[in-house]
Amino acid sequence: MVDRQSALAAHRRPQQTSFDGATGVSFSEVWAFSLVQIAAWPETLHSVGVTATKLAGCDAAPAPGRAVFEGTRTLMRVEPLKWWVLSEAPQDASSLPASEASQGAVLDLSHSRTWLRVSGDKAAPLLNHYLPINLSDRAFPVGSVATTAMHHIGVTLWRDEDAFNILLPRSLASSLFELFTESSSQYGYKFT
Amino acid sequence: MTARRLDHGGRINRAHPLSFTFDGNTFRGYKGDTLASALMANNETVLGRSFKYHRPRGIMSAGVEESGAIVTVGRDASREPNVKAPMQELYEGLSAEGQNAWPNVRFDLGAINGLFSRFFAAGFYYKTFMGLPPFEWGHGTRLWMLYEKLIRKAAGMGSASREPDPDCYDHVHAFCDVLVVGSGPAGLTAALTAAEAGRDVILVEQDFELGGDTLSDPSREIERAQLVDALAKAGVRIMPRTTAFGLYDHGTAGLLERVTDHVADPADQLPRQRFWTVRSDATILATGALERSIAFDNNDRPGVMTAAAARSYLNRFGVLPGQKIVIATNNDSVHHTAVALASAGADVTLADIRKHGASDLPADIELREGVAPLKVHGRSGVEAVAFASASGNNWSAAGQTDCDLLLVSGGWSPVVNLSSHRGAKPAWNAELACFLPGLTNEPIYHAGSAAGIWEYEACKASGEWAATAALGEATAPPQPGGWSTPIKPLYEVRLPEAKTKAFVDFQHDVTGDDVRLAQQEGFVSVEHLKRYTTLGMATDQGKMGNVIGLALMADALGKDIPDAGTTRFRPPYTPVSIGALAGRNVGHHFKPLRRTPLHDWNLKHGATMTEAGPWHRPWYFAKTGEVIDEAYVREASTVRKTVGICDVSSLGKIAVQGPDAAEFLNRVYSNGFAKLPIGKARYGIMLRDDGFVMDDGTTWRLGETEFLMTTTTTNAGKVMVFMEELLQTRWPDLKVHVSSVSDEWAAVSVAGPKARATIAACLAEGEYISNEALPFMGVRKITLANGIPGLIARISFSGELAYELYVPAGHGAAMMDLLWPEAERQGGCLYGLEALGTLRIEKGHVTGAELDGRVTIDDAGLGKMASTKKPFIGSALRQRPDLLRHDRPQLVGIFPKNPGQTFKGGAILCADGEVSGFGEGWITGVTHSPMFGHWIGIGFISGGHTAWAGKTVIASDLTRSEDVEVEIVSPHMYDPEGVKMHG
Repeated sequence: MVDRQSALAAHRRPQQTSFDGATGVSFSEVWAFSLVQIAAWPETLHSVGVTATKLAGCDAAPAPGRAVFEGTRTLMRVEPLKWWVLSEAPQDASSLPASEASQGAVLDLSHSRTWLRVSGDKAAPLLNHYLPINLSDRAFPVGSVATTAMHHIGVTLWRDEDAFNILLPRSLASSLFELFTESSSQYGYKFT
Repeated sequence: MTARRLDHGGRINRAHPLSFTFDGNTFRGYKGDTLASALMANNETVLGRSFKYHRPRGIMSAGVEESGAIVTVGRDASREPNVKAPMQELYEGLSAEGQNAWPNVRFDLGAINGLFSRFFAAGFYYKTFMGLPPFEWGHGTRLWMLYEKLIRKAAGMGSASREPDPDCYDHVHAFCDVLVVGSGPAGLTAALTAAEAGRDVILVEQDFELGGDTLSDPSREIERAQLVDALAKAGVRIMPRTTAFGLYDHGTAGLLERVTDHVADPADQLPRQRFWTVRSDATILATGALERSIAFDNNDRPGVMTAAAARSYLNRFGVLPGQKIVIATNNDSVHHTAVALASAGADVTLADIRKHGASDLPADIELREGVAPLKVHGRSGVEAVAFASASGNNWSAAGQTDCDLLLVSGGWSPVVNLSSHRGAKPAWNAELACFLPGLTNEPIYHAGSAAGIWEYEACKASGEWAATAALGEATAPPQPGGWSTPIKPLYEVRLPEAKTKAFVDFQHDVTGDDVRLAQQEGFVSVEHLKRYTTLGMATDQGKMGNVIGLALMADALGKDIPDAGTTRFRPPYTPVSIGALAGRNVGHHFKPLRRTPLHDWNLKHGATMTEAGPWHRPWYFAKTGEVIDEAYVREASTVRKTVGICDVSSLGKIAVQGPDAAEFLNRVYSNGFAKLPIGKARYGIMLRDDGFVMDDGTTWRLGETEFLMTTTTTNAGKVMVFMEELLQTRWPDLKVHVSSVSDEWAAVSVAGPKARATIAACLAEGEYISNEALPFMGVRKITLANGIPGLIARISFSGELAYELYVPAGHGAAMMDLLWPEAERQGGCLYGLEALGTLRIEKGHVTGAELDGRVTIDDAGLGKMASTKKPFIGSALRQRPDLLRHDRPQLVGIFPKNPGQTFKGGAILCADGEVSGFGEGWITGVTHSPMFGHWIGIGFISGGHTAWAGKTVIASDLTRSEDVEVEIVSPHMYDPEGVKMHG
């Protein structure tokens, strides 16, 4: 099958700027990934949570607002009844987990989002140009997840050991990325 | 005023001279100067003209309360009016000019206003020009609208650039445990105490240096520097050049950081200003106090300023502001100032209204007790000051003294503005003659002179207390005060019956007489006083004039000051530029732009884009030499003849999943969905609760419990939110999940007689879309020849044989790389929104232009779709009698009587000879129809097309003055039987 095209294709070239000799923000895109939504009904929350945990290869399903990581897979609780299983490798639709409607619903959202990773000393200050969320280590430690909005755009944000991760709606990714780079020029940035 | 720069002293860097201009003249200052200090050092006295009377004004203060030296800084597009010179840091090449004057501030023709000043009292304009007889006798305010423009032109302050702002601005959010506003001794101590207790502290200072009042006190410099050093080591986030302009709910503060306003050649990467929203657990306001003036005749002359300002110019900027100086006071705070000025070589007279009986002043300072300034002599500067002494309730003249500078200290007003923003009503303290911060239940604590504490060590102690309180360790707050001799309240000095120009609010030229006039005319409420006289309005916001104005009002009413009331301070404390409010939400970032997965592919293939809500969609694909009218007609014709491909990715798409999905859709849509077979699509219309149409689209049944709903591009979000609301509030028992998948899919419409052939050539082996394999309204999964999986539905918006192809968004371009060459081989084209509009108007299909919220399902001609066998959203209220009237405007097609004529969208439809009012209907869409060879339209008219059969109707464009005769036809203008799309 043909390669998948990134929503940031027009921006996908090595870029680096510096300000006062510093490059404070690093952007990178995970552009071929799978995102599977697993939704439960109130009475099947536990059993579906187990399914989501198995799919992600994790020990336990996270609480709302939290993520757990296992290798290249991430399991997040994005809504009270919904998990997202994220994998840094594309997944064939036929390999989606089967789910009886009485148990819950499975939905492939792999192409609906753009996955941007933001790291560097100025990553949090940059995101705080648009996000009214305290991103300090104390308030938003590794494993934190927020379903929030930036520049009127609904996004999903989480933090792993190395970076802040953002899932942007694909159609709006380019617009928001342009804003990111414009704001980042005061810190210096690179896009890899 | 004969000011001069001293050879030594101050915090300026004499090794770093700076050149700048004021009103076209070049001057020199130093790094560390403000524009005000540099102008003063160059003995520039007249820097502005007053708002109403165009009186000459000079430097009155050394801070944000400045009311005289208000200037315009910058040139051309970067021109910034109403900059307070004491707050403008000097930089190389700074260009400033005086404002509200012509030709310049030294010689201003507008000063003629002063000759008529006795007529320009409060309310003059309203009393004189509103209902001006004889022209307006009984005619209301018609002419006022004309006068107002002229009056506004004559008055006012500086003028902003009319060019687009070349700078960028940022919004920033920050969080902390303790926000400390102000970096005087109280603020520094508070910040350090909180930080050393392990709290995350942000310290905000509007000045470019930390220290507040201690910057003007060389004896405190070592201690100040140590405190600042300790703050950095304790991890305090220090924000100089940043003003906390407002306090809001839940510990939210608004800050404005001036990033490059002090830089001669700022880096392109930097924003000019940052608008900070800071959320803190506790707020400490160490905002200081502002020294008040006193109202007396000519108290606004250049050369009259606050006493603390002179100390600042002398000790911080190395400028001796006058040579022969009178200091008039009613409190203890001027003592150090008098000594410092005398030590610097000035001839100083201290006029204290209080009688001490003994003085510890140096012998070279003359002390005059029991007198206050009555009048300043001199026009563009101070030449002498006349004194008065109090005798009972009246004043009597008490001689005069020649001088070139008059310093006034009428008491101190704690800066309580920020806590006032939170509704804390300031409380009058008669002993200190000032308002102290009001009580609040919020974690807001005042420290230093903001709490009415005047003495240095006590200020530091109060800072420590405030930090402790912010940490949750409540103790009794320190007591205000600190002067050894009590202040003697003094607000105005005037001889009985004297006609004076004694200003209360310098920025708005409000005098003591204006306050009394307002009282005489019945404006006895302080809020009415403010609005009638404009006292405390504009950029001053009552910093200089409020207390004096209140005192004079109270005196006129025979009340005490607290009984006269106080106005609440409102944000912003100092002005915030519109650019900072806008941030980066300007230009193409005014709103986020949505791009379809085919955006780049479309551009690469010649698309001209247009905005469709938040989306950019192809408008048309012009061939070389084509204009839009030629392009869209060609595209629409090609679709009818062969095949066209249109990007429809922007349509809303919602996954509806769950065992109750079919039941849910059956309740949402007006037509039935419960029995829709798997592999079939159905056109549905959903209504609002009130019975009007909300949206339409097709919904595809992909499985027993799985549907894909499509919505219009415009209403995708609204429909999604509505369905979430239904599931969460009305039908929580239904097991249904709805998820937006609008961005998951790239979608194209392939339409035209050759559509099937085009697609078939692009399918993987073994895939078929014959009429049998995929009948009209059929849906199925499919795999393209390049292995891309997707969905295909045989649905038509154009009226032709048509399909919609959906593939995962990341494969959209690859799908087009497959489809487009085949379409070209079939003689097909790419088509955009304009041709799409043509095709759907010919067919009579509705869009958001028709379904505008006022239209019922019957109005749209689709009433037969509404089920009579089940309830659905809107099913009850659509039965309201008025919505069932047969004479309601109904969807129709429109042809010109003369095929050579055109008419415009938005025109109203009127009966022949009755072009008036709202007419009988309106036109929602027009196009040239290649199928009919003339202009056609779609719209609504009362009673529908049958009511107007054979009648001439006028399409009247009232705004563009055009009437065209039209005939009303069925909306189904092209292929009404649907033969083409079923073929």
